[in-house]
Amino acid sequence: MDFEPSYTPEQEEFRREVKAWLKDNVPSGIVQPADPIDLTEEQYQMRREFGRRLGAKGWLWPTAATEYGGGGLDVDHAVVLEEEVGLYDLTIPPFYDSGGRLGGASIVVWGSEEQKKSFLPPIFTGEVRTWQLLSEPEAGSDLANVKSTAVRDGDDYIINGQKVYVGSSLGCDYMWTLTVTDTDAKRHENLGWFMIPSDLPGITVQPMDLLISGGESGAGSGVKNTVFFDNVRVPSFNLIGGHNQGWKVATTHLELEHGTGGRISRNVVVDKLFDYCRTNERRGEPITKDPDAREKLIDVYIEQEIVRLLQLRNYWMRHSSVTTTYEGPQASYLRKTLGLKMSGHILDILGPASLTFDPELGASEGHMEAHARAGIVAIHPGGTTDIQKVIMSRRIGIGREIREKAGALG
Amino acid sequence: MDLSLTPEQEMLKTAVRRFVQQEYPKETLLQIASPTEPTPDAPWEQLTQTGWLGILIPTEYGGEGGSFTDAGVLFEELGRGPVPGPHISSAVLAALTLLEGGTEEQKKEWLPRIASGDVRMVPAITEADYGWLESDVRLTAKVTGGELRLNGKKAYVYDGESATHLLCAARSEESNDVGLVIVSADGVGVSTRHLPGFAWNLSEISLENVVADFSHTLGGEFAGAWDALERAEAKTIPILCAYQVGGSQAIYEISVDYSRTRHQFGTPIGRFQRVQDQIINLLNCLDAARWTAYEALWKLDIGRDASDSVHLAKAVGSEGYYEACNYAHEVHAGVGSMTEYGLTLHTTASRTLYHYLGDPKFHRRRLADALGL
Repeated sequence: MDFEPSYTPEQEEFRREVKAWLKDNVPSGIVQPADPIDLTEEQYQMRREFGRRLGAKGWLWPTAATEYGGGGLDVDHAVVLEEEVGLYDLTIPPFYDSGGRLGGASIVVWGSEEQKKSFLPPIFTGEVRTWQLLSEPEAGSDLANVKSTAVRDGDDYIINGQKVYVGSSLGCDYMWTLTVTDTDAKRHENLGWFMIPSDLPGITVQPMDLLISGGESGAGSGVKNTVFFDNVRVPSFNLIGGHNQGWKVATTHLELEHGTGGRISRNVVVDKLFDYCRTNERRGEPITKDPDAREKLIDVYIEQEIVRLLQLRNYWMRHSSVTTTYEGPQASYLRKTLGLKMSGHILDILGPASLTFDPELGASEGHMEAHARAGIVAIHPGGTTDIQKVIMSRRIGIGREIREKAGALG
Repeated sequence: MDLSLTPEQEMLKTAVRRFVQQEYPKETLLQIASPTEPTPDAPWEQLTQTGWLGILIPTEYGGEGGSFTDAGVLFEELGRGPVPGPHISSAVLAALTLLEGGTEEQKKEWLPRIASGDVRMVPAITEADYGWLESDVRLTAKVTGGELRLNGKKAYVYDGESATHLLCAARSEESNDVGLVIVSADGVGVSTRHLPGFAWNLSEISLENVVADFSHTLGGEFAGAWDALERAEAKTIPILCAYQVGGSQAIYEISVDYSRTRHQFGTPIGRFQRVQDQIINLLNCLDAARWTAYEALWKLDIGRDASDSVHLAKAVGSEGYYEACNYAHEVHAGVGSMTEYGLTLHTTASRTLYHYLGDPKFHRRRLADALGL
């Protein structure tokens, strides 16, 4: 066994190349607000610009195929890139683009050659930002119960309906969504998956007022929105995977969103919590010397290590094409429960200093306050913890001989 | 990065699994565990024939010279039984202590015989005030001429009853240093008492005026012996954790099977989400224990400082096995508590191993120290 990416001399050469390039190309002045809602337009545009520079090198989506604008690199190179960009407290992509990450993978698996050539390069080169539109007022955990419709009209589809908990602040270029394409067909055989330019007439975006948004990997999203479709005319070319095939397409991005992609990054909040407790005192002693605080910090550390290892396992499984079953939702479940448990422990260790971003009294420049809110809210995006357990049960085959298979990742 | 086993390790895994199924079926394990039935000798003799007891012992001392991960694979499969010792105590902890702190003569004298199973050397460290710190050792050693006289009691000695020799921690009356003395388990003045009840293979060992030659002191002196023991413990713990992982894996599999075959309310009980929760919790304990154990083994194999990983693995592994058993009992209800079903073999093992080489609380504290908190 080997728990680390191994670096060949060629990769170390690549690391030197990446380091030098980043030094010249990471815009100076990028800041990481504790709550992504505080991301300014100017800051966002700096991140987009950096994304385009990465994209031009094929480094924005390093493992995607070069013919579609990706880098065509293997995992060990992608790891080097992620590590080096991580040294700047940035991720790849450096802006919120879970729509591109998940939708891109679905198009790779299910799109026609023309569709791939049309939709993927703008994502993979960083020209567009993409939102995912899944939940509806009547379709949360039961996603297949979506009510929005796409009705065929000549060479187009006419889309009507409402999507919730969508996207981010500061808009997007593309949206993809799941709608009913056949009201008479059976469940799971009645849906269509559409890639939609966000500037089509009839689309309205309305910000939602939430405790906080979050839960997605990479850069935070800021606000979430309600999106209304009012007779939006979409060319049938934008239907991916074929008529009534939308659920199949969705299984790919749902699989990834449920944690099967794995991760190798550290938990930033844990690092900030430990730093804060080492460098701040209570009653004349560092917080880390308080026996109660110590016990809770170790609790956080241990659970974080477990999540790190399971995400690492998933990362390795995905990139060495080992068949996964329950592993994705398991990592997702434990990551989320760790987040909630941490917010409780932080409340215990830091007291009300964890509940304010007041510049004088708030702990860790507001990062603890943001986590206090995110701990509970992040339990739900991308499938609730309960849903993760439902999926695990089916994949394991608890109480059933026939085990459900994981979604196709291509 | 490669989290798979090597082809050789996969072969070892298959061979050990087959061995455990053949030599240690449930009926045999129940017979060994029974306080009234005689313990059969054949399975243990078969185990000594495999050479696996020498897996960590270098070839120059009659062992196989395997890696820590190899040992993890072996003991994970033995843990599925759970096959009772003295294997981890003797072939891992005592052998590694000899390697860490023994003289060349001692290594040559003892390691080949530990590898062959002729000597079952069991560390006797803890006492009535249970603890794994040097300061917890009170049993006294008085040096007179070239001889040692040992007096005191060792308590909660894991595998104590099956020992041919003890590696006994004793405090020098002169220097106050704690040394490790090799003592014959059936020597004059040594008496072993089985601890009855829910304890698993634990005993109390009394040493009354036991005379040992000073040359039987690890390393030939008291100073430095405890450090050697701690280094050996740090290498033993991830292997013990792998053994616990094997136990959790076995009860996970029987729990999933039971969820399919046991019907209540006209449906397999695994259709109930409350039952599913128990199995998912069990699996989460199992996987957390598995990957913390194997990461620590990997660090040991590449010679990296593994102190934080070792404490992490023991805290997670011991708690994990203990909790995994509890969840399996929730799935099985009454059936799980029937001795003949076999689940209680694990439940019993999990409680004793929870404490062996330090309980989770102990390792959490040491983890905090290792992280510089």
